[in-house]
Amino acid sequence: MASVELRNVWKIYGGKVQAVIDANWKCEDGEFFSILGPSGCGKSSTLRMIAGLEEISRGEILFNDQVVNQLPPSSRNVAMVFENWALYPNLTVYENIAFPLRVRKMPESEIDKKVKEAAEFLNLTSILHTGVRHLSGGEMQSVSIGRAIVRQPAVMIMDEPISHLDAGLRARMRDELKKQVERLRVTTLYITHDQVESMAMADRIAIMNLGRIQQVGTPLEIYYNPRNDFVGGFIGEPPMNFTFCELLQEEDQSFIVSPSFRLRLDDECKSQFLQYRGGSRLKLGIRPEDVRVSMQPFPNSFALETDFVEPQGDRTIISLRLHGGDILLAQVLGSLRPDIGQTVYVTFDQRHMHFFDIETGLNILYPE
Amino acid sequence: MEDVKGIEHFESAVHAFEQKTPAFYLNRIFFGRPARIILLLLFILAILLPIFYIAMTSLKEPIEIRTSGALLPRGQITTINWVKAFANVPLVRYLFNSTVVAVISTILVLLVAVPTTYSIIRFKTGGWFLPAWILGTYVMPPIVVSIPIFAMVKMVNLQNTLAGLILVHMMANMPIAVWLIDSYIRSIPRELEQAAWIDGYSKWETLLRVVVPLIRPGILATGVITLILSWNEFLFALILTYGVKSNTFPIGISRYIGEHGLQFGEMSAAALAGIVPIYILVFLFSRNLVEGLTRGGVKG
Repeated sequence: MASVELRNVWKIYGGKVQAVIDANWKCEDGEFFSILGPSGCGKSSTLRMIAGLEEISRGEILFNDQVVNQLPPSSRNVAMVFENWALYPNLTVYENIAFPLRVRKMPESEIDKKVKEAAEFLNLTSILHTGVRHLSGGEMQSVSIGRAIVRQPAVMIMDEPISHLDAGLRARMRDELKKQVERLRVTTLYITHDQVESMAMADRIAIMNLGRIQQVGTPLEIYYNPRNDFVGGFIGEPPMNFTFCELLQEEDQSFIVSPSFRLRLDDECKSQFLQYRGGSRLKLGIRPEDVRVSMQPFPNSFALETDFVEPQGDRTIISLRLHGGDILLAQVLGSLRPDIGQTVYVTFDQRHMHFFDIETGLNILYPE
Repeated sequence: MEDVKGIEHFESAVHAFEQKTPAFYLNRIFFGRPARIILLLLFILAILLPIFYIAMTSLKEPIEIRTSGALLPRGQITTINWVKAFANVPLVRYLFNSTVVAVISTILVLLVAVPTTYSIIRFKTGGWFLPAWILGTYVMPPIVVSIPIFAMVKMVNLQNTLAGLILVHMMANMPIAVWLIDSYIRSIPRELEQAAWIDGYSKWETLLRVVVPLIRPGILATGVITLILSWNEFLFALILTYGVKSNTFPIGISRYIGEHGLQFGEMSAAALAGIVPIYILVFLFSRNLVEGLTRGGVKG
C-alpha cells in the first residue's frame, strides 16, 4: 500500500507535444482515485508514467514520499489492469493469475494458495483451468484483476478496465469492481473517459483536459462546485447549459440579464458577488435539473418557447429556445409535458447557478 | 428511375441464369469445380515433372540416358547410378557438410534475428536506419559482395572451413529472417509485454518467456525457410569452400561433371538424395510454413 504523489510532472513527446502539463496531485494511501477526461487529455500518459512504462519528462513521482522516477516497472510494485486486459493468451486462467508470483519465484505451495484465494474472491474457481482464449469479456476482466491483486501491489492502476464490455455488463462490473476494491483497500488509480464510472466509484476524481489537471475533488465537490466551465460541462448528463449574461446592479437589487431573460438575484446569491471585482459580462452555467419550468407565470420567471420535448417516463427533458437560436435544456418531473412550440415559464435554481469568467473559463465564485 | 433500371438489370441477369444461357455454361466451365481441379493438377504436374524426370533418369542405364530423351526408362531399371553416385564422389560428406552449415547457421540466424527484430520494433533501435539497411542488404544481389566477403573470411582465416560458410550464410539469411519475424512480433499487443514488465520481468525475460512462446510458429517457419536457403545456397559455397572437407551439397553435385564426362545418371541420383531430406522437413513443417508465409504476405 502506498500513496502516490505527482509533483510538477510533465510528459513531452518528441520535444514538442505536451501530453501532460504540470500535474500536481496526491492520491492518499488506500484511496480510490480516478483520473477522468476525454480521449487524448493525457490521462493515459499520466498513468503510464506512474507505472514506469514511460519516462517522466519533467517533475517527480513519489510513492510513499519516495521518488520513483528511476525505478523500472518491475521494482515499483504496481499492478495494472489494461484496457484490453493483456492476458497471456497461451496460458490458462490459473497460470495467468499465478504469473506475477512465478516471476517472484514464490514457492509452489504458496502460489497455489494465493491463486485459489484470488479465484475464490473473483468467482473464477470453476474456470481456473480454462485457456483464457475461451473466456467472455467479463471473465477476462476478472482474470486481469485477479492477476493484479494476487501479489498485493502497493498501487493498482486500472486503465479503462470495463470500457470494452457491453453496456449491461459494464454497469454490473462497475458495482462489482467497486466492491472488490473496497474489500482490498488497495490504493487504486482508475483511468476512464466515462464520468458515470468515476462518479459512481471514486473517492476523489482528477479531471484532465488538454494535458492539464482541471480540478481534483470528491465527486460531489466536482459536481456542485466545478472550478471551470470545462469541468461543469464534462460532468453531468444531460450536460450543463451555458449562456452569456450581464450582471447588473440597480439600487440595492442585482440582476442577471440576457436577451432571453432578466432574473433578479435573491439575497443569498447576491451576497456571493460582494467580493467580486471582475467584468460584468459572464458565462452562466446551469444544469438541466436546476432549470425550473411551469406552465403558468410565477414571480421572477421569464417566458420561453419549447423547441423539443422528450418524455422519459420519470422525467421530461425539455429543449427551450433562447434568443439567437441557442438551446436551454431543462429536466423536469415526468408529469410535466408541455407541447412543442408552447410558451412556458422558466427560472433558475439560484443556489446552483455557476458563473464563469468569459476569458479564462474559471468559476468566479469558486472557493479557493 | 435509376433504381428501376437497376432492378430490371438484375432481373435479366437472374433470368439468364435460370434459363441456362451460354454465359451460364461458360461460367461453369471456367470457374466450376472440375476446371479448378484440372488447373491444380496441371500446376502440380509442372512442379513435379522435373523431379520425376530426375528420379527416372537415376534409374536408367548410363547408355540409355545418352541415347534417349524419353521420360520413362525403356530398358532395364538399374541401381548402378545410385551405387556409383555414392562411391565415386564423397556425397555423404557433402550432405553432412550441408546439414552442419544449414542447421548451425539457422540456429545462429534465429538467435540474432529474434532479439534484433524485437528491439527494432519495440525500442526503435537504430531509428529508421537499421531496418532500412537490413532491407537494403536483402535487395542487393549477393554476387556484388562476393569479393569483399571472400577477403573478410580470409582475413579471419576461415576460408575453406564450415565455420566460415556458416557465418556467411547467417549474415546472408539475416534480412529475410528479420523480415519474416517482424510481422509476428507486431501481431503481439504491446500491453502484453508491458503487463509482463509490471509483473516483474526484465526486458530480456519478457522477450524470452512471453514473446518467444507466442511467436513460436513464426520462429519455426522462419527457421525452415533459412534452412532451405542455406541448404540450396551455391554462390558463397562455391567461393568459400574448395575441398571435400568443406564443400556442401550444391557444390558436390557439380563434381559429377568432370574427369569422366557428364555423369547424368549419378548426378540425378545424387540430386535426389540431396533434396529428399529438405522435402521431408518442409512436409513436416508445412502447416507452420503456410501460416508463416501468408502472415508475412498480408501483414508485412
